Amino acid sequence: MLILMMIEDMLADLGCQSVAVASKVGPAISLIEGQEFDMAMLDMNLGGIESYPVADALTARDVPYFFSTGNSLTNTKDGYRNQDVLKKPFTFEQLSNMLSRSLLRIPN
Amino acid sequence: MPSPEGAANSNSGYSCQTFSFRAWQPIGQGEPSMPQIVRKSEEQKDAEAEVESFQQNLGPFVIAAETTRMPMVFTDAIEPKHHIIFANDSFLKMTGYAREEVLGQDFTFLLAGNAKAEVLKQIEVEFGNETDGSPEVYLHRKDGSEFWGGVFINPVRDEDGKIVQHFISIFDLTKHKNEQIQSKMLIDELNHRVKNTLSTVQSIVWQALRTFTDPKQLHTSIEARLLALSRSHDLLTRENWKSARLNDIAYDALEPFSVTDGRKERIVIKGEPIRFPPKAALALGIAFNELATNAVKYGAFSNDVGSILIDWAIEPSSGGDRIILRWQEKGGPKVSPPTRQGFGSRMIERGLALELEGTAHLDYAPEGLICTMNFPAPKVTHHG
Repeated sequence: MLILMMIEDMLADLGCQSVAVASKVGPAISLIEGQEFDMAMLDMNLGGIESYPVADALTARDVPYFFSTGNSLTNTKDGYRNQDVLKKPFTFEQLSNMLSRSLLRIPN
Repeated sequence: MPSPEGAANSNSGYSCQTFSFRAWQPIGQGEPSMPQIVRKSEEQKDAEAEVESFQQNLGPFVIAAETTRMPMVFTDAIEPKHHIIFANDSFLKMTGYAREEVLGQDFTFLLAGNAKAEVLKQIEVEFGNETDGSPEVYLHRKDGSEFWGGVFINPVRDEDGKIVQHFISIFDLTKHKNEQIQSKMLIDELNHRVKNTLSTVQSIVWQALRTFTDPKQLHTSIEARLLALSRSHDLLTRENWKSARLNDIAYDALEPFSVTDGRKERIVIKGEPIRFPPKAALALGIAFNELATNAVKYGAFSNDVGSILIDWAIEPSSGGDRIILRWQEKGGPKVSPPTRQGFGSRMIERGLALELEGTAHLDYAPEGLICTMNFPAPKVTHHG
C-alpha cells in the first residue's frame, strides 16, 4: 500500500495527471479496455499470477508499457524479453527515465 | 569347489571381506525359477552348491541383502550387458515388479526419460570403475510412473581380481527432489518478500521526508512506522505468512499505544474471526497504526477518558459477502475536519481502499473520528 502511494507521488511530481490502479489481471484488463491510457507500469506478478495477458491487452491497444519486478529476469517469457524492466526498489530518477523511454517509444 | 573368500568356519565369527564366487542364482523358500530354461550343467550344479555353501557360511549377510530396506540388485558382469541375477524385496517394492519380471533383465531396462544414451554412458563408467560416484538417474516403475534414484554400483571380484558381478543399491530420491523444489520456491518467495519490504521501507522514508524537515520529527515518524511494519511481520510470521486474523491485526497495532495510563481498558475490539491474506494484513496494520498515532496526537487517546471501538460485521450482498469495519473514537477533544488532506487521510481513503478493493471514509464527527471501511470479504488461499 505504501509503495503504491509512493509511486503515485512520484508520478504526480513528474506531471502525471491521473493514475488508475488495478491489482489483479481481470480488473486490469477491464480498466485498459474501458479508457485511454498514455502508458502503463506493469508488475510482472499480480497477486501470484503472471501478468502477460495484461501486457497483451496493452499491446493490442498500442499503449506503451514497461515491466516492474523484484525478481531476477531469468524466467521472462519468450516474446516479452524486449520490454524495458524496472527493478524494485527503484529511485525517482530510474522511474522518470523509464517513463520517458516509454512515452518516446525508445526500443529496448 | 571354490569357497567364498574370507568366510570363516562356523566356530568363529563371520568376516566381511570381498567374497568371490562364479555364478550364483538366488534360491530360497518358494522362490520362482529363472525365466531362462537352465540346463543343469556341471557349472550350474557347481553354482548351486556354491550358493548353498555361501548361504550357510555367510547366512547373516544373505539375510541382510534380502531383507534390508535399501533396494538392491546383483548383476552379472561376465556378459557385455548387466543381467539382474538377484533382486531383494525392497527393490521389488520400490519398482512394483515381481521377481521373475526383473531377473535376467539388463539393469538398464529401468532407465526412464529421454537422456538414455548419456545416462547409459554415465552408468557404464560406474560399472567399470571403483568410483565414489552415485549418479542420479531417472528410473521407471512397472506402472509407468517415474522417479529419481541415486545409484551406487559396486564391483564384486573373483580370486584373480576380475569383476564378475556388481551389486547395486538404489536410493529413491523423490523426497530429496521434492525438498529441492520446495526449497527453491521458498527462496523465491523470500526474495519477493524482502524486495517488497525494502520498497515499503523506502516509501516510509520517502513519505517522512515529504512531511517533515525537523530531524527529530523525521526520526520519530520513520521509526514508528518501521516498528509498526515489523510488528505486522511478526504477526504474519507466527502464522507462517499464510494469513492473519483481523482481531489479531487490530490488537497488535494498538498494543504499543495501550501500555500508557490505563489505555488498555479504553480499547474495545469486537467482531467475528476474519482472515486476511498477507498483503492486506500488512496494509491494515499500517492503517490501524496511522489511526492510533492520530488518536494519540489529536483524538481519543490525547486525553485520559477517550476510548476507541473497533468493530466489524459481515453483510451478504448480491456480489458476495462484504465486511463493514468501523474505527470509532469517543470522549476525546472536540473534532474538527482538517484544513487539507494530510498523508494519513490519503493513506486510508485511497491507499487502504485500493488495497482492500473497497471504500474507506473518514468522518470527522465532533464527538469523535469515525473511519468506516466497506470491502469484499477477503479470500485467503493456502499454498505451500
